[in-house]
Amino acid sequence: MALLELRRVTKSFGRTAALRDVSFELEAGEVHVLAGENGAGKSTLIRIVAGALGDYAGELRLGDRALRFDDPAAARAAGIATIHQELSLVPSLSVADNLLLATPGSPFALVDRSAARETAKQALAALGLRVDPDTPVEALSLAERQLVEIARALMSKVRVLVMDEPTSALPAPDVERLLMRVKELAARGIGVIYISHRMDEIFRVADRVTVLRDGARVLTARASELGRDGLLRAMLGRDLTTPPAANAEESRPIRLRVNGLACDSRPRLEPVSFELRRGELLGIAGVEGSGASTLLHALFGDGTRIRGDVALDGEPYRARAPAQAFARGVALLAGDRNASVLTAQSVLENATLSSLRRFSPAAFVRRHLELGAVKPETERVRLKAPSLDAACGALSGGNQQKVALVRCLLARPKLLLLDDPTRGIDLGARADVHALLAELAAGGTSILFRTSDITELTALADRALVLYDGRAVATLERRELAEPRLLSLMMGGSA
Amino acid sequence: MTEGPRAALGWLASPRVRPLVPLVAVLVLGAVLNANGAFFLWQTQRAVLREIAVEGILACGMTVVIVAGGIDLAVGSVLALSAVCFAWLTLPHGWSGLAALLVVLGVGALAGAVSGALVAFARIQAFIVTLAMMVFARGVAKELSGGQKISNYVQAADGRFVNVPTPPLFGVLDGRVLGGELSVVTLIFAATVLVTWFVLRRLRIGRYLYAVGSSFEAARLSGVPVRATLVFAYLLSGLFAAVAGICQAAQETHGDPETGLGYELDAIAMVVLGGTSLAGGRGGVCLTLVGALTLGYLQKVLSLNAYSTELRLMLTGAILILAVLFQRRASRETS
Repeated sequence: MALLELRRVTKSFGRTAALRDVSFELEAGEVHVLAGENGAGKSTLIRIVAGALGDYAGELRLGDRALRFDDPAAARAAGIATIHQELSLVPSLSVADNLLLATPGSPFALVDRSAARETAKQALAALGLRVDPDTPVEALSLAERQLVEIARALMSKVRVLVMDEPTSALPAPDVERLLMRVKELAARGIGVIYISHRMDEIFRVADRVTVLRDGARVLTARASELGRDGLLRAMLGRDLTTPPAANAEESRPIRLRVNGLACDSRPRLEPVSFELRRGELLGIAGVEGSGASTLLHALFGDGTRIRGDVALDGEPYRARAPAQAFARGVALLAGDRNASVLTAQSVLENATLSSLRRFSPAAFVRRHLELGAVKPETERVRLKAPSLDAACGALSGGNQQKVALVRCLLARPKLLLLDDPTRGIDLGARADVHALLAELAAGGTSILFRTSDITELTALADRALVLYDGRAVATLERRELAEPRLLSLMMGGSA
Repeated sequence: MTEGPRAALGWLASPRVRPLVPLVAVLVLGAVLNANGAFFLWQTQRAVLREIAVEGILACGMTVVIVAGGIDLAVGSVLALSAVCFAWLTLPHGWSGLAALLVVLGVGALAGAVSGALVAFARIQAFIVTLAMMVFARGVAKELSGGQKISNYVQAADGRFVNVPTPPLFGVLDGRVLGGELSVVTLIFAATVLVTWFVLRRLRIGRYLYAVGSSFEAARLSGVPVRATLVFAYLLSGLFAAVAGICQAAQETHGDPETGLGYELDAIAMVVLGGTSLAGGRGGVCLTLVGALTLGYLQKVLSLNAYSTELRLMLTGAILILAVLFQRRASRETS
């Protein structure tokens, strides 16, 4: 009998089905990798297992009992521990105190400090981590925090451990250590559900792999029988495609020349060099933590300790703040909606924020000027909003992102930087954004975009730069842009 | 609940009506407990409008700072410093009212700009920066005045105490217009509200203030000059505190280093009572005007009915919480 079983689970958000009739089995003592592209339904599945989503069709069985968790505490009490991408330790408290928080007991019970310290020491030693339990968590490296997080999960009786991309922010040697610990935990009889985007890691740690695509289960197979090609084919849903015809126009003048640009902001970026022509769409392929996002922010004057030479239209370019980047005709659209729109402000106010100077001669904001400029742009991106005075926070994610895009467009950028611009937005909005980007490029705007979705990359990019672990590992011309190859490079494999 | 009351509640909770509910409730309370009709007299209205003026001017600056996501605890002390400066320059030193006015406005703006620079550039929390400025400005006021009220009874060069004439500006600011029916300080308060409204709603920097308060990060990435915007917010608050301080000195006809104690809290209460969120990015000065009127009328109703000061404080505290709870419930129900 399986340790954990999902039977025919279906979950919809509004009209989009996140999971369709998915069944999943986890055996005790196995590491079961859940793979799939972004939006395939992985996170919905683990949210159901972790008790964060109680409203779904289908059945969840733990051992011989059918259960339905309506909050994470219930799942935890049943022996299911989840380690999320964003760690949930209290940074200012010591390691021992963080572990103490996870042990049950009355809030007014006396704390036996030496016992707590001893317990912490043992729990950490079991995972091969030797740190003083009195160290505040914020003084630990990311890898050490990850282990403390696991130790905390193991403080109570755990039968199922869910790990959501635990290595996404870790450097390579730490990944190796973590994978060993995960295998050890499985050897002790714990069932581990493991999510990763890194190809090599998946095949080092997995006993079995389940692939989800568009909310449905494609297959479950032993990792050794599946192989890399099989996994890629299952994730993409088609065979290795032949790349589209080359579309290079070498005659266009160079707009951006980057020479040895490096940045120490986290995640860091090692020196990278490339050129971007006028009207060219250069895609930057890289998973979270690869340095791709750091590259964009460094060009936008939003990084720390930036080195290297950058020239924009032949002139030296170094922005020290985003406002300076805008002044040079460089705009950035962040995929994280908390950083891209002001939810409390209206569509109109958001749209003109970056180019307000044009709409406020002598410092007075002229509404008719704003309306005259914003209306055509919102129609161009097919924005669906009750009115231009509606609060941006009331719009859907896709429409919020369109508002942010209009804000960038009104700044009339020569160079547009896009940091995962279509993250989490629906297919219709995504298509609108793609069409607009192609139109902008045709009009001479140079576009540098990072995306975690390789379908988007192959559909849009003239060329692609692949980053892995802070380094540029390949530059691919349009004719070389094949999805399996990109995916493999993004996950640290060879082309 | 039946349809009628539900619809009525929905109407009360609608964004246009909601901020006025606490004010109307206080006015109804005043109409009921009208102290033999005293509540309905114009002189009562005139008194309320005069009594809220000085703190209302502070609340205008506070609104700007809170919209930008901050807080300014220093306004009460900067008011005292300004009052002392104004009296010190005009009375013992014999400056003209206008010259002193300009210098004192500069002092207030400087105090605000220093707070703003510490918040924007040194990235210290606004609460701490302005708490320090509150203590510091009070210290300067006491140092300058030697801990005494500065009045027109001053020591002359030969050691004798004489009465010097107060500049006419004192009388103007403490006077009334429209045949004695409206206080000058009320007009100044009204002008401050207008200026603040203009800054927040018509000027480019107004958009920047809301943007910074709504999301510092998103504003920065949109190319907003976030630091300059923050400095401006505190500078304006300091400037308004100087205006309020000059009015205070004129009304008291002396510069008192102990004046304005706790005014910053009343100013914050006016802003919050109007419905402007302390989280920043929302609200506005019209709401603050409503909040100031609510607080002013509440005090007046309680004092007309001869409630003791102790009871008035307790009731004011309780009503503040009730009003904020109502605002929050209502905004949740409409969203």
